Amino acid sequence: MGHYIELSLFDLALATLLIVIAGMVSLVLHLGITRTLILAAARCVLQLGAIGLVLRQIFGMKNPVLVVSWLLLMLFFAAREATRRSKKRYQGILLDSLLTMTASSLIAGGLVTQVVIRSDPWYDPQYTIPIFGMIFGNSLNGISLGLERLMDYVRGRAQEIELLLAFGATREEALREGAKMAVRTGMIPIINNMTVAGIVSLPGMMTGQIIAGASPIQAVSYQIVIMFMIAASNAIGTMTISRLAGRRLVTNLGIQWI
Amino acid sequence: MYFECGPIEFSTDDGRVLLNGISLRFSPPTLCVIEGPSGEGKSTLLRAIAGLNRAKVGKRVLQDRAYSVGELPLWRSQVTLLPQDAPCLHGTVEKNLSFPFGLRNSKGKDFQEGRARELLDRLGLGHIGFGQDIRGLSGGERHRLALIRGILWGPPVLIADEPFSGLEQPLALRCFDMLREFSQERPSVVIAVVHNEGLNAKADIVLRLEHGTLHRT
Repeated sequence: MGHYIELSLFDLALATLLIVIAGMVSLVLHLGITRTLILAAARCVLQLGAIGLVLRQIFGMKNPVLVVSWLLLMLFFAAREATRRSKKRYQGILLDSLLTMTASSLIAGGLVTQVVIRSDPWYDPQYTIPIFGMIFGNSLNGISLGLERLMDYVRGRAQEIELLLAFGATREEALREGAKMAVRTGMIPIINNMTVAGIVSLPGMMTGQIIAGASPIQAVSYQIVIMFMIAASNAIGTMTISRLAGRRLVTNLGIQWI
Repeated sequence: MYFECGPIEFSTDDGRVLLNGISLRFSPPTLCVIEGPSGEGKSTLLRAIAGLNRAKVGKRVLQDRAYSVGELPLWRSQVTLLPQDAPCLHGTVEKNLSFPFGLRNSKGKDFQEGRARELLDRLGLGHIGFGQDIRGLSGGERHRLALIRGILWGPPVLIADEPFSGLEQPLALRCFDMLREFSQERPSVVIAVVHNEGLNAKADIVLRLEHGTLHRT
């Protein structure tokens, strides 16, 4: 690692000026979002501050149980958020989301931390926590987009699904088209990100590493690994969730209305 | 036993008993028409036979073999429902006629293009091309197409929910004759809900669904 300039509390206070500017714009233009903005900024400071303190503890203690517990906590919140974003819900949606998140993060994150990076010890929080965090954050999007698409499909194309079932289609066959659409929809964000990476946007992780003093080539290498990992976890995640959700939305007795 | 289904029980969400222990047994060739006032559960009965709703069904037997709930897809490939309003898949006419033959439960049945053409001609759909998009078809054309799809599929039991709706009497008559011919030639059992006095008289059996039970008329 190279050198980077440490930020002091005073520096943070200076940065607060920026949010004050945003607040003034809102006041002057009567946008009516001043309160929301202040609240959001306060939440941002509190949440990140708290996480910073917790992570400092976890990084300091390097205890596998602690690291894994933290990862599980992140997994749970990500899985719950994925179901909350969807307008429609069904019984067992949280369990499906948890199973999906577990499958996609274990495969993609496990491969990256244990096979590609080979972190030592295996649970090294410096690698596992940010890497799994990125998987959770992205799978969350993929899963909620995919779920939404699948449920829209079942609702909008119910007659076609029933027609297929009526001629003896298994539920997998009846939902094949919908599952394809769901996976495609869930994959679009990462495909877009990979396509414009470096041209339109400098990915956050790469930018962070560069500021932290890593060589640009190293930062780029990490970013490539991360993007491939996210693509894999989204593919696994959207496929799994459409399978699991599909089993609840269409049973042997036809479409179950939710 | 060729075909047996029942007893079938179904109550609506608010507790009204719609189907009160109905049992059906038929041997081919049979063309059975079900009539009755609307809202009495004719569609619900057909869907229950096909296993496409939450009705309680005592047993389902086809050609001496009983089917469990887990085997409903296979059951439906042989006790096939033509749903109300002639729904179609997005895509071409050909896809709409041939998709059942691509399903796992089709068990090697083949889509016969020549036969399809012949049936289309007989029902006045000779002008329709296989590659044509289904969205270009009128409601009446879609109904005839759905009927042809069912006959091409040729299951041992064909169930049709208002297959002739929206068709002028001469056309409805031709469709009815085609169904009867199918039941006699395959031979098979055809059960259809039909609202058409003129046609019902030509059926082998006419059953009336009222107050949760079926009566011979």
